[in-house]
Amino acid sequence: MKTYTFHVSGTHCPSCKIFIEDTLNEQIGIQQTRVDLKNETVSLETNLDESKHKLAEILTEKIKHNGYSLSVEKKAKEKKDDGVIWQALPIGLAFLALFFIVQKSGVLNFGLGGTVTPVTSFIIGLVASVSSCLAVVGGLVLSLSATVSQDKISDVKPMMLFHSGRLISFAVLGGVLGAIGSAIGISFIATAILGVIASVVMIVLGLNLVGVFEKNMIALPSGVFSFLRKVEHKTIAPFLVGVGTFFLPCGFTQAMQVAALSSGSFLSGFLIMTAFALGTLPMLALLSFGSASFAQSKHAPLFFKSAGVLVIGLGAFALLAGLAGLGFINPLFSI
Amino acid sequence: MQKNTIISIIISVALIGGTFYFISDRPVSSDREVVQLQNVEIRDGIQYVTIIAKGGYSPRITEIKGGLPTKLIVKTDGTYDCSASLIVRSVGFQKILQPTGEEIIDLGIPKSGDKVQGICGMGMYNFQIKVS
Repeated sequence: MKTYTFHVSGTHCPSCKIFIEDTLNEQIGIQQTRVDLKNETVSLETNLDESKHKLAEILTEKIKHNGYSLSVEKKAKEKKDDGVIWQALPIGLAFLALFFIVQKSGVLNFGLGGTVTPVTSFIIGLVASVSSCLAVVGGLVLSLSATVSQDKISDVKPMMLFHSGRLISFAVLGGVLGAIGSAIGISFIATAILGVIASVVMIVLGLNLVGVFEKNMIALPSGVFSFLRKVEHKTIAPFLVGVGTFFLPCGFTQAMQVAALSSGSFLSGFLIMTAFALGTLPMLALLSFGSASFAQSKHAPLFFKSAGVLVIGLGAFALLAGLAGLGFINPLFSI
Repeated sequence: MQKNTIISIIISVALIGGTFYFISDRPVSSDREVVQLQNVEIRDGIQYVTIIAKGGYSPRITEIKGGLPTKLIVKTDGTYDCSASLIVRSVGFQKILQPTGEEIIDLGIPKSGDKVQGICGMGMYNFQIKVS
């Protein structure tokens, strides 16, 4: 049994540690893999007779699809990445400014009179998906999708699960609202608290995308990230997050819930909420599958960092607004 | 690289500053006078304040007289956005308003110097009624 230490490159996130350790320990003859993120080294025990150089090659083969590589000598750090944040910052902020300008301009405030039919609720869904609700629901979708794409290249399964979770929960819970005709999930305090939690998650994921955690400037317990990793990769978790979006604070969603409530039957509530969820789908699908396709392009680092800046901005906005809604702070803005 | 960094910081600061100026919560002083005449009405000894809820609340700031029984009328007209989910914390009012209609909220008899604040469920829209 021999102990080797290699230099590792490509470890951009705390969850990389877990991934590399799990993958290498699965190899025959490799034990006790330890990743040191700070020094970017991997130490492991092996009973294989390969030379150190050969071993580095063999093991790199196993993890290079995920963007990591092992080497005996420390590689000169790639300089290219450093300037990206300075391009990403204005790009992310420009999108943020665009979002607020659209809100403030009032183009989204056209009226839809009369009773709510599935057709009007579909249109309301389309409007809602670019409205202020985008700050919470869209920001959450973007931050989760970008994080998933960054960790695991081109895996659209969690996103499919998220969207089907969202559609199914809106359909079923909408039907239930119509059938029982009493309030579920329309507690102000509960939705506001969920909104605050969602915005904190967005800020943390945004900081991670920007790369604040990369250099260990802020140390988060790796437990948080192994939890997030589970959320990303387990089948049930993205589905549940999708279901949870039914309860996220969004004026449009709540108005549709009331409409479903007063519609009087399972079928009409079901149709109203399904149509609404379908209306929000194009924008949200664009955000999540857009992330996946950007992740494969050569602009991936720029995309992740811009998305991070955008998500931090939206998260901060949603957090301050949510706290104001709960009455903890005075409202700071009115868009 | 150095030059790009500086340009980037300048653009970013301009964007942040501009956006904050744009969305920050500042009173609209010029048309307050006009608005006050339109949306406060005293009938049979009861003071009625009318606020329109649609894509935010208007007027944002209203001044009323103290010492009178006061009712707040919130009008909606095809309102599906956040402003439909209204919270008026000082009187314990929380409700998702009908998309089109009027909601009458009893504010009791506000004292001079009081402030009544209404805010939407997500916290992005608000209005204030100042008692003078």
